[in-house]
Amino acid sequence: MTEPPQAPAETPQAFAETPTASADPPPQTPAQVRRRATLAGVVVSALLIVAIVLGSRLLRDFDSALLPYAVATVFLAFGVAYRYTVWISAPGARRLFKQGWRAFFSVENFRRAPTALPKMIATYLGFQKFLGARSHARWAAHQLIFWGCVLAALITFPLTWGWFTFTSSTGSGPGYEMRIWGFKVLGFDSLNVVGWLMFHGLDIAAVLVIPGACYFLWRRMKDRAAITGQRFAYDLVPLIALIVISVTGLLLTFSSIFLHGGGYEFLAILHMVSVVFTLIYIPFGKFFHIVQRPAAVGMQLFKYTSRGKAGTAAGAAATAAGTAGAVVGGGAAAGGEEGLLTCRRCGEPIDAALYVENLQGTMRDLRLDFDEWAEYCPRCKRVLRGNAYLTHIKKGFK
Amino acid sequence: MMGRTIFIDPGRCIGCQACVSACRECDSHRGKSMIHLDYPEEGRSVASLPTVCMHCEDPVAPCAEVCPADAILVTADGVVQQADTTRCIGCANCVNACPFGVPKIDLQAKLQMKCNLCYDRTAYGLAPMCATVCPTGALFYGTLEELRAERPGVQVADSFTFGSTTISTGVAMVVPADKVQWPVPGGLPIVEVNGVDVR
Repeated sequence: MTEPPQAPAETPQAFAETPTASADPPPQTPAQVRRRATLAGVVVSALLIVAIVLGSRLLRDFDSALLPYAVATVFLAFGVAYRYTVWISAPGARRLFKQGWRAFFSVENFRRAPTALPKMIATYLGFQKFLGARSHARWAAHQLIFWGCVLAALITFPLTWGWFTFTSSTGSGPGYEMRIWGFKVLGFDSLNVVGWLMFHGLDIAAVLVIPGACYFLWRRMKDRAAITGQRFAYDLVPLIALIVISVTGLLLTFSSIFLHGGGYEFLAILHMVSVVFTLIYIPFGKFFHIVQRPAAVGMQLFKYTSRGKAGTAAGAAATAAGTAGAVVGGGAAAGGEEGLLTCRRCGEPIDAALYVENLQGTMRDLRLDFDEWAEYCPRCKRVLRGNAYLTHIKKGFK
Repeated sequence: MMGRTIFIDPGRCIGCQACVSACRECDSHRGKSMIHLDYPEEGRSVASLPTVCMHCEDPVAPCAEVCPADAILVTADGVVQQADTTRCIGCANCVNACPFGVPKIDLQAKLQMKCNLCYDRTAYGLAPMCATVCPTGALFYGTLEELRAERPGVQVADSFTFGSTTISTGVAMVVPADKVQWPVPGGLPIVEVNGVDVR
């Protein structure tokens, strides 16, 4: 519409110099990223195969009936490693990934806040408090699915890899031994409560998952916020897959207890197909958030531990520009929160100074050359744009 | 600029907040208004500026580019969606990187929210809530031809400068005819002239 490249003489200029050099190497080309991702996928899946062979005592404990599941987990390992590598190769994720691990391995951080990480893992990844702030019903449903899936994964993955075995010295029980990598860890009677729980762990997982997934499926049909922009393959298929896995799993138990095994073989194949499909789908669809979500803990830890430290680039820029905006930090500030960058114009806190500095690096990586704008709060950006419009474009607007 | 889009004319805005109220009714963020209405010279003039998401096209969606979780999707029709609730980690990168100051963040819910051009309505050919209720036409939804049919000769701009960067957007602003060759200044302030602080 307009002729963009030539900026007007009145166009306001940037106010202060901020560092433009990035300490990081230049971004990789897509072909390089693909090569690295393929290598990561091959290495991780090869390591898993070695772990399966060794963990099953050179396949002595490997149950060949579970071979399709084990093969699916190898594909899963490849897919997750591939996509994870591609994901963290993007500038935003790469910088946060590095800062998150740096904060994780920092001895200084551990000394200052030894409980911060366990607390974040428990509240954020385990009990997912943030979902409660979005909706109590969604939180409850997600907790059901989450704990059901965790339970199912803890049981099935080691089983399919031949790491767990349940053996009875008397042939058909009731005394059983549970062994991990060949070492006995537990002896139990299959007829008591412990035995029942051991043999029905997956049924319990299914009972947890079904109501949670059904709630989300119902919400996807009824809630207009959820319906906006939803996609069948991305939003609905994962829920349908969870329900099919859980229902067929429960029907297997129903068949063995009440139908004397009637239809068991068909159900077993249906169950296996749905599980294999879901495992292979994980890296490509909505389930990848399971792998991504822990990054949020790294981000939180980075922000949290940055609070006591002043940013260097942002701080230098603030100092160069005067006192309108500044980093409050380094323990020297009285009042205000330490390590926070405040808006250059209004002085409202924006975010942790080191975090904003990290974002500015990301913006420079992406050739978004207005990174100094990140040192203004959103409202001041809008007000300054309004003022520029008043001054340079439409004076009658006054 | 998109085919059917919002045209903002701050000169017509009377600051009545009808758009702010109507935005709360949008199904995709019920109860929370995503439009901003600012008074740039509060106390000195009645000027007001409504801000919706500008749906940046080139460079495409800086908010989405800086997102470390790939949570902000751009649909084929150029609409920059609000963060995917499954992926958003609430890092606020988008909030701080957006040159227009658009996204909002709920730190408790670890969730970014922003104007998505009332996708639940525009996807079915309806105007966004804000443009539907605006009593003065400061927010107009339609094609440029439809705008010109109502306001003959009106000129619009869909590029904005921030320092040395020019951003083309899907949403456009009304500008005077003699200013149409300019990208609209984005507001990066002049703080120093010949060594003198002019803030």
